[in-house]
Amino acid sequence: MLRLECPHCGVRNSAEFRYGGEYRPRPAPSTEAAESEWIGYLYQRHNGMGEQIEWWYHRAGCGTWFLVERDRRSNEVARTWLWQPADAAAQKEATP
Amino acid sequence: MTGSRIRADAGQAIDRAHTLRFRFDGKSHEGFAGDTIASALTAAGVRVISRSFKYHRPRGLLCCAGNCPNCLVQIGDEPSVRSCTRPLEEGMDVRPQNAWPSLDHDLMALTESFSRFLPVGFYYKTFHRPRLLWPAFEHVLRHAAGLGTIDEDTPEGDHDKQYLHADVVVVGAGPAGLSAAAAAADAGARVLLIDENPEAGGHLRYHRPDDAASRRIDDCRGRLEQAGGTLLTDTAVVGWYQDHWLSAVRGERLFKIRAGAAVVASGAFEAPAVFAGNDRPGVLLGTAVQRLLHLYGVVPGQRAVVVTANDQGWAVAADLLAAGVEVAAVTDERDAPASNEDVEAVRNAGVTVLTGYTIGAARGKCGVDEVTLTPISGADGGRRIRCDFVAVSTTWIPSAELATMAGAHSRYDEALAEMSLDGLPEGLSLAGRVAGPCTAEEEWLQGERAGAAAAAGTSEMPSGGSMAPAAVRTSSLVAAPESGRDKRFVCLCEDVTDIDIETAVAEGYDRIELLKRYSTIGMGPCQGRMCGFNGIRLCARATGHSVQETGRTTSRPPVKPVSLGALAGQKMEPVQLSCVHDWHVEHGARMMVAGVWLRPEHYGDAAAEVRAVREAAGLIDVSPLGKLKLTGPAAAVLLERLYVNQWQNLRRGRVRYGIMCNDEGVVLDDGVCARIADQEWYVSTTSSGASAALEWMEWWRQSGWGDGVHITDLTDTHAAFNLAGPQAREVLQPLTTRDLSNAAVPYMRARRTDVAGVSCLLLRLGFTGELGYEIHCPAGAGAYLWERLIEAGADHGLKPFGVEAQRILRLEKAHFIVGQDTDALTDPISADAAWAVRFDKEADFLGRRALTRVSEEGPKQRLVGFRTGRRVDALAEGQQAVVQDGGTRPEIIGWISSCRFSPTLQETLGLCWLPADLAAKAEAPFHIYAEGKMEEARVHHGPFYDPEGARLRG
Repeated sequence: MLRLECPHCGVRNSAEFRYGGEYRPRPAPSTEAAESEWIGYLYQRHNGMGEQIEWWYHRAGCGTWFLVERDRRSNEVARTWLWQPADAAAQKEATP
Repeated sequence: MTGSRIRADAGQAIDRAHTLRFRFDGKSHEGFAGDTIASALTAAGVRVISRSFKYHRPRGLLCCAGNCPNCLVQIGDEPSVRSCTRPLEEGMDVRPQNAWPSLDHDLMALTESFSRFLPVGFYYKTFHRPRLLWPAFEHVLRHAAGLGTIDEDTPEGDHDKQYLHADVVVVGAGPAGLSAAAAAADAGARVLLIDENPEAGGHLRYHRPDDAASRRIDDCRGRLEQAGGTLLTDTAVVGWYQDHWLSAVRGERLFKIRAGAAVVASGAFEAPAVFAGNDRPGVLLGTAVQRLLHLYGVVPGQRAVVVTANDQGWAVAADLLAAGVEVAAVTDERDAPASNEDVEAVRNAGVTVLTGYTIGAARGKCGVDEVTLTPISGADGGRRIRCDFVAVSTTWIPSAELATMAGAHSRYDEALAEMSLDGLPEGLSLAGRVAGPCTAEEEWLQGERAGAAAAAGTSEMPSGGSMAPAAVRTSSLVAAPESGRDKRFVCLCEDVTDIDIETAVAEGYDRIELLKRYSTIGMGPCQGRMCGFNGIRLCARATGHSVQETGRTTSRPPVKPVSLGALAGQKMEPVQLSCVHDWHVEHGARMMVAGVWLRPEHYGDAAAEVRAVREAAGLIDVSPLGKLKLTGPAAAVLLERLYVNQWQNLRRGRVRYGIMCNDEGVVLDDGVCARIADQEWYVSTTSSGASAALEWMEWWRQSGWGDGVHITDLTDTHAAFNLAGPQAREVLQPLTTRDLSNAAVPYMRARRTDVAGVSCLLLRLGFTGELGYEIHCPAGAGAYLWERLIEAGADHGLKPFGVEAQRILRLEKAHFIVGQDTDALTDPISADAAWAVRFDKEADFLGRRALTRVSEEGPKQRLVGFRTGRRVDALAEGQQAVVQDGGTRPEIIGWISSCRFSPTLQETLGLCWLPADLAAKAEAPFHIYAEGKMEEARVHHGPFYDPEGARLRG
């Protein structure tokens, strides 16, 4: 079983967490986003091989949503951290 | 073959003073304490233990190590017990499997006469036409191929799970594992040493046990215990998952183990050679013979032939001679085996030795009476020799499954003709034979190093041992030269022969993973332990690829068979109980599971409960409602973004119904939100969606929309009751100091107030369509408050009501329930709640973009009420709405999402999804297809009961 480091609680079994999918920041304001950008946010998942930034929720713990950078080939976790406003901009740049 | 016990001092596992009686196939036998079922059967001269899966050939003891399928038996209601590892018990009634009418006279053995009609993959090719006959074929085939029977009346057994944690887990308690565990313990690690055998010692237990070895075993165990380490015997590690998360099984207990680091010292096992009649009872692996001799003091026959390709066979032959068993011949594939004390002992005993030979065929009436020994070159010169059992030691397979599951790589070692491991993942060390051949002394040493490495959290791959490859090398023969017409089995579990493999490759299944799936080799009880390597080599030969190119099939858990019960564990379905649960049960409530909660469905008569609410008063326990407190200056802004409704304009002390959507515009949840103070909100969510709603809200709060807002979950800490009915005010007023008049507490207001001395939050709502107060209080006071309310209502005709009555009451008001009337595609506009969606607010709320579109284009389907004007018991939720024009086939146009008989209106009514144009027409007729009949219904707009809402405002 994968282990994850919750930014609040430390390293715990992944059974305590809920996976929240890959991180796709919401275009803001929603009504002004281009159709392709909006569809990308709502329906299209990158699903690539290799590293991904994704959401996890510490359901059986402190209730924190946090970001995880995980290599999907090896399950190696590079880092886990609490969301920051800068993440949205960085992620928007990284995902087409 | 007639097995028997040898001299009284042999057999370190058994206690000859303690006799056990048991039955096998209806006959009585005796064994000793410490015996396994199979060792006792062998000592008693029983040679046929099972019948094979497809051809029903007789099968007997082969591996004596819990690997092969040959000794599977049924004990009571437990099928597929490995009799070679299951300890014998007094009075056991052991039955053979897959044989009819009996083991010795299995009529199904006729199957083999038809084997040319049952080629590899026959289930893909034959018996499919004519299609009508398939059920009959299937019945016969299922009966013919089987592994024991399941008794459906078997009571549930005791299964449990245990979590274990260790700095270092060592798998295998042979010399390498024992010294690894001791070394890791010496270094201060918390150590868990696991072995599937009943005792530690590994091969030392049956490979000429001596005092020096026993002393070293005891020394290591002492060091482990000294440091507080644990030795788990009779426990098989069956799976290896991410981050050294291991599953292991002992009997009916499943262990889940988190290891900081691990040492795999799982050793190696022997696998069969491929020759004609290689499945006959009496053909055993060399290590099986050694186990029988040294552990149980049993010899499987009187006259042996030993077949080998390395030094192991000579050791077996020497052991047999020392036990007084006649050895008729020893064959060795090698032309000139190097001399050692075993070789000398055998030669000195005058045994016929054939070098450059192997076994070509084993023949006999039921077991083995005679073998043909042939030159490996395939030249003439075959020798027929009479014997009653054969010990085969040609193939070593390192037990590498766990290491590869953990992430180690494997490659084919030509010099040894075996798969060897390299490329270890972090925190995994190897020691002993699994990593390659080594002497016993080297095993102890490798263990010490691996244990120290594991304690330090690193990986250790032993450097090669000093043994000459020729001394341990696996046979170079893929299969014996042709000899005799009998079948040459590769897979004993599924009765697959070398010809079958060649046929499958010729048919195009020439990749090892495909070949496995098509031929089913490796898919039976042994999971490839006996057949995997031979299958790879046969595939390589048939395709012309090298063994390395052919590769190997992926190892997956479980390595050893595990009962489904052990995986399922205890039957535990926890439910949450309201603080009033005991009262409900004492007062005759019929409880139902609703989400994670146990709730009263009714107290005997739901219709009477509905009447009480409509005519007098009712009280329902709604404690499962999600209850959240939001505080902070931006709480209203957050709600504006999360809900489609407007909140900033809601004044203090007021309540509003809200709908929460996602960005697809799909309804996720609904409930009421009360503004308690400028910066404090009390939000209720649906009972079944409470945790999902909280997770959803927290997600947005924590990813940029929080702005200082706190969400406190009060779901479990607060109870809630809904007091509803025309008499509700009269029931409640005497219990509180607050004036409850309509002027003081109007509809959709929230008030903090005391009720029976308990501090409560009072929400005046109208979900049932009557005057109603939802009373929220701390759960600790819930049961007390509930009883005061019941007492206060006694003179007013108040009845407790359950979920069923509430469903009828809300349906009479045409309120939808999220999840009942809505699904994963429902938007609020289609669900007739367009009024709640406020496009005129500023917030870029979740669902805004999608709902704007729905609003512009108009919904295609709409949720709308229907009524029938009569009682129609055939109507039920999930039925289809249809239209039928003239004589054409009815067309499905929608479905019924809620439906009940209304005791108030005395007709069957409900909610349904219909095309928007039809739904727009009040009184439009349509049909519901119910139990084979068309039932007429008419579209209805608005609430069925009290459409003006006068009662709930009164």
